[in-house]
Amino acid sequence: MRDTFSSCNPIVNFIYFTCVLVITMCVKHPVILGISFASAMIYSIYLNGMKAIKFNIFFLLPLMLIAAIINPAFNHEGMTILTYIRDNPITYESIYYGIAAAVMIGSVILWFSCYNAIMTSDKFIYLFGKMIPALSLVISMALRFIPRYKIQIKRITNAQRGIGRDISAGNLIGRIKSGVSILSIMITWALENGVDTADAMRARGYGLKGRTSYSNFRFDVRDWTLTVVLMVLFIMVVIAIRAHFISIVYFPAFVMNDFDGIVFILYAAYAALCLLPLLLDIREDIVWRSLRLKI
Amino acid sequence: MALFAIENLTFTYPGSITPALVGINLDVNDGEFLVLCGQSGCGKSTLLRHLKGALTPHGARNGSISFKNVPLDEVSFRAQTSAIGYVLQNPENQIVTDKVWHELAFGLESLGYENAIIRLRVAEMASFFGIQDWYHKSVYELSGGQKQLLNLASVMTLQPDVLILDEPTSQLDPIAAADFLATIHKINNEIGTTIILSEHRLEEVLPGASRVIVMNQGQIACEGSPAHIGHELKRTDDPMLYAMPTPMRTYLALEDNVESVCPVTVRDGRDYLQKYQPAVSVESAIPVQPATSMKAGIPQTTTSTGEPISTLKHGICDASDCHDVYAEHESLNRGDIHDGYDCSDSRDIYAEHDRSDSRDIYAEHDRFGGNDSRDISEHAERGSSDDMHNGHDRRQSHDSPIVTLKNIWFRYEKNASDILRGLHLTVYRGEMYCIVGGNGTGKTTALGVLSGLYRPYRGKAQMLGVDITKSKIASLPQGSIAVLPQDPQTLFTRNTIKEDLMDMTKSKERIDDIAELTEITDLLEMHPYDVSGGEQQRAALAKVLLTEPKLLLMDEPTKGMDSFFKRKLAEILRNLRANGMTVILVSHDLEFCAMYADRCALFFDGSIVTENVPREFFSGNSFYTTAANRMSRHIFEDAITVEDVIEKCQTII
Repeated sequence: MRDTFSSCNPIVNFIYFTCVLVITMCVKHPVILGISFASAMIYSIYLNGMKAIKFNIFFLLPLMLIAAIINPAFNHEGMTILTYIRDNPITYESIYYGIAAAVMIGSVILWFSCYNAIMTSDKFIYLFGKMIPALSLVISMALRFIPRYKIQIKRITNAQRGIGRDISAGNLIGRIKSGVSILSIMITWALENGVDTADAMRARGYGLKGRTSYSNFRFDVRDWTLTVVLMVLFIMVVIAIRAHFISIVYFPAFVMNDFDGIVFILYAAYAALCLLPLLLDIREDIVWRSLRLKI
Repeated sequence: MALFAIENLTFTYPGSITPALVGINLDVNDGEFLVLCGQSGCGKSTLLRHLKGALTPHGARNGSISFKNVPLDEVSFRAQTSAIGYVLQNPENQIVTDKVWHELAFGLESLGYENAIIRLRVAEMASFFGIQDWYHKSVYELSGGQKQLLNLASVMTLQPDVLILDEPTSQLDPIAAADFLATIHKINNEIGTTIILSEHRLEEVLPGASRVIVMNQGQIACEGSPAHIGHELKRTDDPMLYAMPTPMRTYLALEDNVESVCPVTVRDGRDYLQKYQPAVSVESAIPVQPATSMKAGIPQTTTSTGEPISTLKHGICDASDCHDVYAEHESLNRGDIHDGYDCSDSRDIYAEHDRSDSRDIYAEHDRFGGNDSRDISEHAERGSSDDMHNGHDRRQSHDSPIVTLKNIWFRYEKNASDILRGLHLTVYRGEMYCIVGGNGTGKTTALGVLSGLYRPYRGKAQMLGVDITKSKIASLPQGSIAVLPQDPQTLFTRNTIKEDLMDMTKSKERIDDIAELTEITDLLEMHPYDVSGGEQQRAALAKVLLTEPKLLLMDEPTKGMDSFFKRKLAEILRNLRANGMTVILVSHDLEFCAMYADRCALFFDGSIVTENVPREFFSGNSFYTTAANRMSRHIFEDAITVEDVIEKCQTII
């Protein structure tokens, strides 16, 4: 799926995920959580397609069910008692709270699945390279070597099979022995080739003072606009919570803020924050359609 | 202007008695394209490493090196980084980061350039090298050729005055190597960067070079332009003569005028051969025996020692083609002077002889080996020298196929595309069967199926009489099939070569025998990673042979080998096949296949398109064939090696 938001500067991506995750994790308000959950669900399906749907049904749903059940089973606070199980009260409040907690866990997991799809390794390196330049090179080198070592281990295993030394066959001790010998030769191999890599690095001036960290990303006008919009929406919601326009109390009794015009605007602001990437995509679709019509 | 001036440079590695470089005097001029060649271990790399301070090895050094009239030690690291570019041999090892764009920027980051400048330089280089299509890719997705091109580009971003390359194409297949070398020529021609290149693939490099330097045992043996270096090599009888391009070797064998200009390219070689053109009619008068004269049965030829030798040879198997039977024996008499395997010079003659008498008799054979009725032609007159070649014993059991693949289909994953598409393959005992073909056609996968690593999802595979699609490959006798992988390093798991060999057998004598056969006796106590590439290849071969395989599968055995090791390898294989071993090898090295194969097959699109004995195979192809054949096409009928061409020319004179 082609996603517009992922083409923005990684800093904007990072701010967005920080904002939605902070609010999702700190506020147990049902409407806020509902908006968060629904947006995260839609966005994850939008990004990952069929894979996300399968994940949501077979992993996320059971997990949330368990989370929702566990809370009322162990938490007996609250004043509206529904029934007793082995002399333990089951309360309405703790059921509500359990559901809210489950939705929160679900939302956080979904947001992280979106985060993974958008924050690729080079974006991550770019973000942290800005803070610690040496670290970004180390991460980049590690990402280079891990697949390389995996391929080499596979090659060695195949080569050993080719001369009748099958690693996957034989008894446990034999397999451990051959596994260890492969590991030891891998270390030798890595060090041996590392000498070449070090040469290649020095040949290109590694070790000179004043190394910079290059990146392909630019921070353009769109990124500035998005950052401003994100920050405005985020601050609106934070103030609304601080000023108790949006509030929730579960125990001892379930009390939620009243619903009126201002609150509706605040909910809408949070929804806009969560759905920002999708709004960008929809806007892009409309632009493309109109461009095509003009042709 | 002299870019580099090397004066009387002598260098000895620590712990070594013999110097690696002895009294080197060399000036490198601005804009030159200098090619450095010589046998492995002659000191090429050591010399090149002296030209860049960051890579100069430790050891005892005498003499001086100056760069732009300043002693190299006094040129700062920063200045050297940008002015002297260096590309190493192994494409994998030089790549530092995980993304193509990051690799391109690496050198510029080191020099501390701003983002905007790096962006421009990287953009320039990516456009020049045509990298923009894979600019955002991860490096592990790239092919070997792309990786080496990336290494070159990431050095070129520093805008060096001189580019030093140490055997940059030794790990690449011929197509990628030709691409890479063409790029080097482009850099030299269009940017004017000075190039110093060490290389063993001289066929492609020499035409564009301005000067060739031949090294031998740490010394400069001779130097000169590509058109004249050959005469010098011939005069001193330097073994590097055999590594020179085909047109040069042909010319030098036929001409003695040391002042004349030697042809370097195939085109020049053709021009030269035109003077032999009138003789074509003589050559085409070789009698073609009609199919009607064939008689059934396996022919028995009695040699002068009285032992019957079955001389059945399998030719092409398509019914339409099998009626053309060539009977040539014009070179049989040359075999008389051959008396063993010890003399390196006689090997060519031997190879020549072996090929020519294997052509004597072609037999029609069902492609799948299932049909036993054959038409066999026997050429009555045999050379008297057969008895000298114990290697021919293998033909005694030639009638039994050792491998029969029928209609093999294979893919790596259920949803992936097919790699092997209806592959048919029959290989007979004692044969050397060479599979050639482009990259990604499935050659290596085919070897994987043969070795039992992959199981085809359709088709029949009979290996040594066992149907491996039904029963497991494990039901074959232990070690009856062995694979020599492309990278010999993957076979070693111990700290010395000896320990590695001991893993395979307990018998000390067997190890000694094999070590002697593969000529690694002196290396047994060394770490397998510390010996040179060619030596690693031989040590790996030793380890593989200790499994006593009946069938040896080899993947690119000549990759990265210089011409001397190739001869050695061919000789070892010949000895082994004399003892009944069968060899199937996959190679890009057409010259090697033409010289030593019994049959060659062209792999394309997951199956074998055509197979035949080398002479018919290569003279039947127009593009995918040896340089000697391309050079002599339409001048001589079926010359496929340098020796063929020389011989044909000599018979005309």
